[in-house]
Amino acid sequence: MNSVIDNLGLDLYLNGLPYLVPIHPTLVHFTIGLFLLAFLFDVIGALYVFAKPLMGKLAPGRAVFFDLGWWNLVGSATFTFATVAFGFFEMFLAQPPAAEVSAWGLSASRTMLIHGVGGTIILFLLVLLAVWRGCQRYQWRVNQPRQVQIPYLFAAAVTAGMIVVQGEMGAHLSTDFGIHNTTVNGLRLQKERGEAVSIDQLPDPFNPPRQSNPTGAEP
Amino acid sequence: MGGQSSQLGPMLFFALNEYNLPYPPPLSGPIHPIVVHFVIATVVFSVLCDSIAYFTRQRSLANVAWWNLLVASVAIIIAIFFGQVEAGLANPTAAGGEQVLGQHMTLGWILPVLLLGLALWRALLRNKLGNVSTDFPRQVSMPYLGAGFALVGLVFYQTFLGTMLVWSYGVHIRPVVEATRTGDVTTGSQP
Repeated sequence: MNSVIDNLGLDLYLNGLPYLVPIHPTLVHFTIGLFLLAFLFDVIGALYVFAKPLMGKLAPGRAVFFDLGWWNLVGSATFTFATVAFGFFEMFLAQPPAAEVSAWGLSASRTMLIHGVGGTIILFLLVLLAVWRGCQRYQWRVNQPRQVQIPYLFAAAVTAGMIVVQGEMGAHLSTDFGIHNTTVNGLRLQKERGEAVSIDQLPDPFNPPRQSNPTGAEP
Repeated sequence: MGGQSSQLGPMLFFALNEYNLPYPPPLSGPIHPIVVHFVIATVVFSVLCDSIAYFTRQRSLANVAWWNLLVASVAIIIAIFFGQVEAGLANPTAAGGEQVLGQHMTLGWILPVLLLGLALWRALLRNKLGNVSTDFPRQVSMPYLGAGFALVGLVFYQTFLGTMLVWSYGVHIRPVVEATRTGDVTTGSQP
């Protein structure tokens, strides 16, 4: 299996990656955090008449919320190119366990497939939303007190929902299946080699044995 | 370490699930890694926006920097709460895991002090520089940006430590929790 990756001749750690920990999960913070906040701030800006009394004297001007809605969206969409790129690289190097299912009853491979396709769609949607949002901010609604159109907010809400589902599937890949997890792979390796399975005998990830075939399957 | 957890069954409300966490359904896995989205992304993006605003003098970017920093200051408190709960129930395994967890928790208590300090500094600068003229002046100074980038560095180091806890040491990872509880391993493709 993974003949394309094998041909790259990468030196892999026990986690199946050419580096110590996966990078996709760090980039994901920016995609999710910035987008959900962008959406939240646009909603507050749209509902400013209701939100303003709640904030009392500290209430900033309405335009501030639209500044936050716009720039956080731009940030999220920009970071997401890297998120998706590293996601695919690390997905190609993954070794999904065959016998397990997630909390949603999906196998690791199926979860990964949906997560990969979903991630690509979400990147496309974020870029589309950013273009749409930019048109409203700088062209269509420059002089309107409410900078965002209602259909835009609905589209952003749908995208936010997709991102939540996507994040949950990513969590399944990490916490249920242990994809690219040094400890999980170490346990799996012990089992496949017929060694005594011991959680105390795992290699220190700071100084892991580098090998091109981490599961120890016969070439 | 996690071996005793299954004996805690009678404590109904805090019965530990398959991730060694006390959350009742529909919650299941760790919550701390979700909350930190809103700390990491906002701190980094705040300093980034302030840097660009310093040179372009765009008011909207300075607004984004300030309010994102406030979001981070609130989110970090929630992150610490869930971090403490989940660290207390962590099952670091291989050699070195305990040290990484210790570092992560120590830095986790230092970061809010630094972050709230930075936010206070930002608030004072904003008051002093931000509202003096219609021609939009800079809201932050070079020393502030320097401190901001230092904090971003610490946040990234903290993120790296947290990522190591999950992906190197398998903290709250179902197959690892299973293995620590039963002493037997049920991960991987079964032969």
